[in-house]
Amino acid sequence: MSDEIDNKQSIQAQSSETMNQYSGSAAADIDYVRPAEIPEQDLYHGHSFITKWVFCQDAKVIGVQYFLTAVFTGVVGLILSWLMRLQLGFPGLAGFMTAEHYYQFVTMHGMIMVVYFLTALFLGGFGNYLIPLMVGARDMVFPYVNMISFWMFFIAVAVLMASFFVPGGPTGSGWTLYPPQAILEGTPGSGMGILLMLVSLSLFVIGFTMGGLNYLITILQARTRGMTLMRMPLTVWGIFTATVLAMLAFPALLVSSIMMTLDKVLGTSFFMPTILKAGEVLEYGGGSPILFQHLFWFFGHPEVYIVALPAFGIVSDLISVHARKNIFGYRMMVWAIVGIGALSFFVWAHHMYVSGMNPWFGFFFATTTLIIAVPTAMKVYNWIITLWRGNIRINTVMLWCLGFIVTFVNGGITGIFLGNVSVDVPLSDTYFVVAHFHMVMGIAPLMVIMGAVYHWFPLVAGRMLHEGLGKWHFWITFLGAYSIYFPMHYLGFIGVPRRYFEMYDSPYMTSAIGMNEFISLAAFIVGAAQFILIFNIIKTLKTGKPAGKNPWKANSLEWHTSTVPPEHGNFGDRLPVVHRWPYDFSVPGAKEDFIPQTTPPSEVVHTEVEKT
Amino acid sequence: MHVGIIFFLVILGSVLFHIFTPWYWTDIASNWQGMDDTITLTFWVGGGVFVAVCLFMIYCVFKFSYKEGRKVEYKPEDKKLERILTWATTIGVAALLAPGLIIWNQYVNVPKNALEVDVMAWQWGWQYRLPGEDGKLGTTKVVNINDENPFGINPDDPFGQDDIMIQSDVLNLKIDRPVKILLRSVDVLHNWYVPQFRSKMDAVPGVITFYWFEPNKVGEYEVLCAEYCGVGHYAMRGTVIVQDEQNYNQWLNEQETYSELVAKQNKLEIEKNKIVKKIDLN
Amino acid sequence: MSEQKIADYEFKPGFTGMAKDTGSDQTMFKGVHWGKAMMWIFLLSDTFVFSCFLISYMKGRASTTVEWPYPSEVFALTVFGVSVPLLLIAIMTFVLITSSGTMALAVKYGYEKNRKMCGWLVLATAIGGLTFVGMQAFEWSKLIHEGVRPWENPFGAAQFGSYFFMITGFHGTHVSIGVIFLFIYAYKVFAGHYDTQKRGWFTTMKGDYVEIEILGLYWHFVDLVWVFIFAFFYLW
Repeated sequence: MSDEIDNKQSIQAQSSETMNQYSGSAAADIDYVRPAEIPEQDLYHGHSFITKWVFCQDAKVIGVQYFLTAVFTGVVGLILSWLMRLQLGFPGLAGFMTAEHYYQFVTMHGMIMVVYFLTALFLGGFGNYLIPLMVGARDMVFPYVNMISFWMFFIAVAVLMASFFVPGGPTGSGWTLYPPQAILEGTPGSGMGILLMLVSLSLFVIGFTMGGLNYLITILQARTRGMTLMRMPLTVWGIFTATVLAMLAFPALLVSSIMMTLDKVLGTSFFMPTILKAGEVLEYGGGSPILFQHLFWFFGHPEVYIVALPAFGIVSDLISVHARKNIFGYRMMVWAIVGIGALSFFVWAHHMYVSGMNPWFGFFFATTTLIIAVPTAMKVYNWIITLWRGNIRINTVMLWCLGFIVTFVNGGITGIFLGNVSVDVPLSDTYFVVAHFHMVMGIAPLMVIMGAVYHWFPLVAGRMLHEGLGKWHFWITFLGAYSIYFPMHYLGFIGVPRRYFEMYDSPYMTSAIGMNEFISLAAFIVGAAQFILIFNIIKTLKTGKPAGKNPWKANSLEWHTSTVPPEHGNFGDRLPVVHRWPYDFSVPGAKEDFIPQTTPPSEVVHTEVEKT
Repeated sequence: MHVGIIFFLVILGSVLFHIFTPWYWTDIASNWQGMDDTITLTFWVGGGVFVAVCLFMIYCVFKFSYKEGRKVEYKPEDKKLERILTWATTIGVAALLAPGLIIWNQYVNVPKNALEVDVMAWQWGWQYRLPGEDGKLGTTKVVNINDENPFGINPDDPFGQDDIMIQSDVLNLKIDRPVKILLRSVDVLHNWYVPQFRSKMDAVPGVITFYWFEPNKVGEYEVLCAEYCGVGHYAMRGTVIVQDEQNYNQWLNEQETYSELVAKQNKLEIEKNKIVKKIDLN
Repeated sequence: MSEQKIADYEFKPGFTGMAKDTGSDQTMFKGVHWGKAMMWIFLLSDTFVFSCFLISYMKGRASTTVEWPYPSEVFALTVFGVSVPLLLIAIMTFVLITSSGTMALAVKYGYEKNRKMCGWLVLATAIGGLTFVGMQAFEWSKLIHEGVRPWENPFGAAQFGSYFFMITGFHGTHVSIGVIFLFIYAYKVFAGHYDTQKRGWFTTMKGDYVEIEILGLYWHFVDLVWVFIFAFFYLW
């Protein structure tokens, strides 16, 4: 189906088929895979506690470290969102909540969730754990750099969290950090807070670059024998493309951070025009605030896809495994991921339709933005067609996938509103935007993360998570989150602007008090429901049912390791040899409803398997 | 079974919510009906796709849930189906994009007879300036702003002398007359937004941005700041009053021009000097 | 990893052949060392960093309200009483480009396993880089002496000082890091680490002369970036 192995092999395969009719002894020929190009990787095996669990060079441990750190920041972000909803639903109930605090919570919640939670979780967490296993490598190609990458991230998180404790508190400039207000009096945390934020972001970029180089080279140059690009699981494709985006988009963030730091510390005027504050003209002059917005969104829009593409990839794999059916249109899925990634660099200014940039840009960016809708829609179609005539296990993992489809389609459709330039005019900077991006890049990727946790936990820990708790977790989260963000769109229609500490008595805003209270209550419940997962994990680690090998009957390589959980080096003495794509489920004529990637053709000669 | 039912109820609930929602647009009070229409169109198309996709998914969940030994289709690709879906989506998206671009074209091309209004934003408030009889606004500079010259008008600019200065956050507008809002800011980003007019644009310090609309409904509307501008963002409100011609002209005549203000201040200055001299003499 | 062989891989002709080669199993870039592939991708990322800097500079220069200073006056150097425009910069550029040449030769001798020549050439490159950084420090001190600061500039727009110090500073940091690594690698070459395949200090990778080439890639890149900075700051 996808690209063929080189001609030589296919000729051999044909010849061996003809030979097969006479004798079975030539079976080795159809199983031919080119010999290894790459010598065995030397691995550093830690022996002390420190080298095994702290400064560890095993990608799987690093992945778990990333995961736990990201989850920690995520819990901080969750608590901040509770505080925000407390203020919005029940103003004045929390006595300590001033406008300053509210804006600081908004800012930190946004930045933590987008960068330190989702990005780090998908690329650092799932990327590190799954890439080497899925492509059949012993480890990441540069384990030492990988280890440094995590610790850079850790320091970045520490710096970020430190900003809660400096005088003035963390920055309250909104996660977009727009100058001039981000570094001027009048915005909370415009002193140390914003500086620590910028430093933390720079550290994150540096750390991520180290990790990203590892992911890319591992995928490009360290796959196992027989693992062609078109035999890689879509998870790997998603993480790969997202990493490429990150490598090209984070530079803009780094540059804008450096420039803003200089504006703040040295008094340069990169982004600072002449400003009159409190009757006095400041020392600044001649800079361009819109330049920052361009730089920021040149990073910021690919960032959306850095979060979304791994989610696309992972959910494709989960749906395929649990629907017991090959992913429909694999090649289309791959090209859609790559195409979305490429296009994402040409749409950034759709965040800036009403920013005061040259309005003629609107035509270009609206067009490119809506073009992206096409490959994205194709992916959605392929997911649901994969379900068609499948054999769908309705377990926790599948539930999360279904929840993903609903929330993602919902959020994607509202994206068409916001991408279409003149429709964006009334809706931008209102709660419609808040609802849209939470639905499409908050809840939808979160659904995938949860599905992925339930799916791969048996591999990581060797025990099955409890299904009943998992289902409760899913239904509360899905129904709750949907009832938070679906009605929230209508707040945007009324015209309620985002980032409002309180609404006062504006008529069209007070009409929504009831809805705000409802949303806040739902948010408290959904947030609390996440602790079900933590409880489930702790309980499972103690008393969970042992998973055994390949509990989901999946095909991809991570389930075919020598031990469960996989040890350092992943595959024991010999690396696996790959003969097919990872989606050979329910192949007609096969004994079981799955054929692992490592199964040679000679073992399934009587099946009608498509050539991949 | 119950999984499909719950998902179905979610979709049904969404549709019903949309139909019966008490929370929807404020009544439009400007010429941008086209924006509302495009949103409605997008709702029909987008909502249709959403419902269709979800119903298909729910059907699959009902029909193909796990049964040992169920015969599963093995068909990795269907080129024809994929092509049809791609083209159908492309056409749908183009149909939504076209009206959007047409309206945007109107949005960026300001009618010639539009009244220019200078909206000056600061942390945290608004003030307005209208052109005088010459129909032109004088140029401004942030560094010129002081108590005597609250708008920073260039004192040497002849167009600026008769500019009408409204030193309150209430702006009156004449009904059915296009208005070109010229936005500037003296400190940080702001955004002059009236939900009923549907239109908005950021005020960026250092440059002048613009947009236009034509108020077509008499009434009093609240102005909101729609771009985060610091701790007072949520409290940065103003008012627009749309009036018929007679009331508008009456209001306009009550306002002060720049030269009047300068004259008044000079007079004050002279008076003050006189007093000072008197004191000196004494 | 040190000696990769392209095991019986036959490249296929034509566009479809290229696509198949690209998507073939194990590696996309046949026979390319991991470290070398990593350096290329890192440099691609770094290109975006410098592009962002330079595009911001162009935007800043185009939109400033005060006039931009005239480069050949600002960067003139008075030699024996004659003001020669761009003299120092010409020398700096010459030194840096020469060091690129010595680097290329070092790579060549490295692959020939000529330890001595390779070592001396890496050392020469390091000294070239150090000279460049030294001259840049001199230029900075001259400008600072004349009153140019990141936040102000007696010759015109304040942004001139801001962008100049930031971008040349960022590039100078790249050069300095390169110089440090050049000295380390020169030591490693002379000590014979690449001949004996001694493992690195931190990693488990075996030493190989390919590391000289990887460092060379970085060095040429830094050089190339300088050409752009030179064009945009001094010739525009």
